[in-house]
Amino acid sequence: MLGHKLKKRLADEFDLVKQAEDLGVSVWQTPSFLFIVMGFVILVAMTGVYFISNNYDSPDVLVISESAVVAILFTIGNFIINSFNQVAKANKMKTEFVSIASHQLKTPIAEMNWQIELLLSKFPEGLSEKQQLLIGQIERSSQKMARLVNDLLDVARIDQGRLALTKEAVDLCDVVSDAIANQQPFSTIAGIELKSACPVKSPKILIDKKRIGVALDNLISNAIKYTNKQGVVEVFLEVKNDLVQVRVRDNGVGIPSNEQCDIFKKFFRSNNSMKNNTDGTGLGLYIAKNIIEQSGGKLWFQSIEGAGSEFLFSLPIIKA
Amino acid sequence: MEKKKLLIVEDDLVLQNSLEEFLLAEGFDVVCAIDGEEGIQKAFSEKPDLILLDIVLPRKDGYEVLREIKENQETTHVPIVLLTNLGSIADVEKALELGATTYLVKADYRLDEVTQKIKVILNRK
Repeated sequence: MLGHKLKKRLADEFDLVKQAEDLGVSVWQTPSFLFIVMGFVILVAMTGVYFISNNYDSPDVLVISESAVVAILFTIGNFIINSFNQVAKANKMKTEFVSIASHQLKTPIAEMNWQIELLLSKFPEGLSEKQQLLIGQIERSSQKMARLVNDLLDVARIDQGRLALTKEAVDLCDVVSDAIANQQPFSTIAGIELKSACPVKSPKILIDKKRIGVALDNLISNAIKYTNKQGVVEVFLEVKNDLVQVRVRDNGVGIPSNEQCDIFKKFFRSNNSMKNNTDGTGLGLYIAKNIIEQSGGKLWFQSIEGAGSEFLFSLPIIKA
Repeated sequence: MEKKKLLIVEDDLVLQNSLEEFLLAEGFDVVCAIDGEEGIQKAFSEKPDLILLDIVLPRKDGYEVLREIKENQETTHVPIVLLTNLGSIADVEKALELGATTYLVKADYRLDEVTQKIKVILNRK
């Protein structure tokens, strides 16, 4: 097992073409290639110095050859730094592009959502049941698009360290009920029972209600996606000393143990049995983790393949 | 109860219109402005109870409008809700520092949520 992992790592390390593609630079600019060259130069230099000091008894020759070696190493070092810079710059440009594109998309999405809401809530007279149903479906599609754009924008903001949280004193129970209400239609379609439990008296915490709602939505929506028909998804809220803890538990397909260390990575999607049955971007958990951590909390999970998963997060209670 | 008057400063006519119609149906008195200049002018002439203000506007942006309204004795007490699609830390901080009451991202809020916020702020006054 360990040997296999090591072999795979070494293969990845030396697959220069793949690395160059991943980083968006040419092969000779990949860090691995430059390190190999550097190692090679050091070996040649050591042999050369040994040869020179054995055959020439002049300090001048030694100084000149040493200087040449230093110059070569310096040049290679410079190449390495340049290629890192190039990669970093390309990455930054990509993030900026996503950020600008998503901003531009948000205005037409807002226009669409507000007009549909206006039509359905204030001017529904004369619309047949069928028409209302169809407009309702358009509304859901448009909201789905808004969520996608928001996800991309959130990731860009997280990557730029500019995710804004507007904190207010909130009863986390309300956030849980909202998230349950949001996800209920999806669980009904999937044939999954969605349950929740909150303590009678839950303390107020200082959070960005919308964003923590997004994080919880993502966790519940994942639980529904990765649970088979007739499964159960439960959401509990508990108070533990100076923390509020939320648990999202399912009896679904679980996460394979070899993937458990990757699930919070950007764009990661599990390769399990449900992969082809569910749509997703692989951004939900990455965003949830960042929102919760930036709110001063923690997100973790336990999962057994075939038995189910449990995602937990805790947030600090504010002292009044 | 007396009708509360709202001023919407928004250059996107579709958004302005949806918001105006929704708020009218909710029983508010609504006036609209299409750019920053007109927004400031109407803030003085119409004496609204609350202002909904976009940030990216032609002829004076939302920050400028916010500053002028807050600096004037006559209008400094009027609560201002920023409606925008920006939403980075810097934008939020700048708006709140200049005296905005709160800040809503248009694509994230439904019209009834915007209305709810407005009612809460007006009741608090």
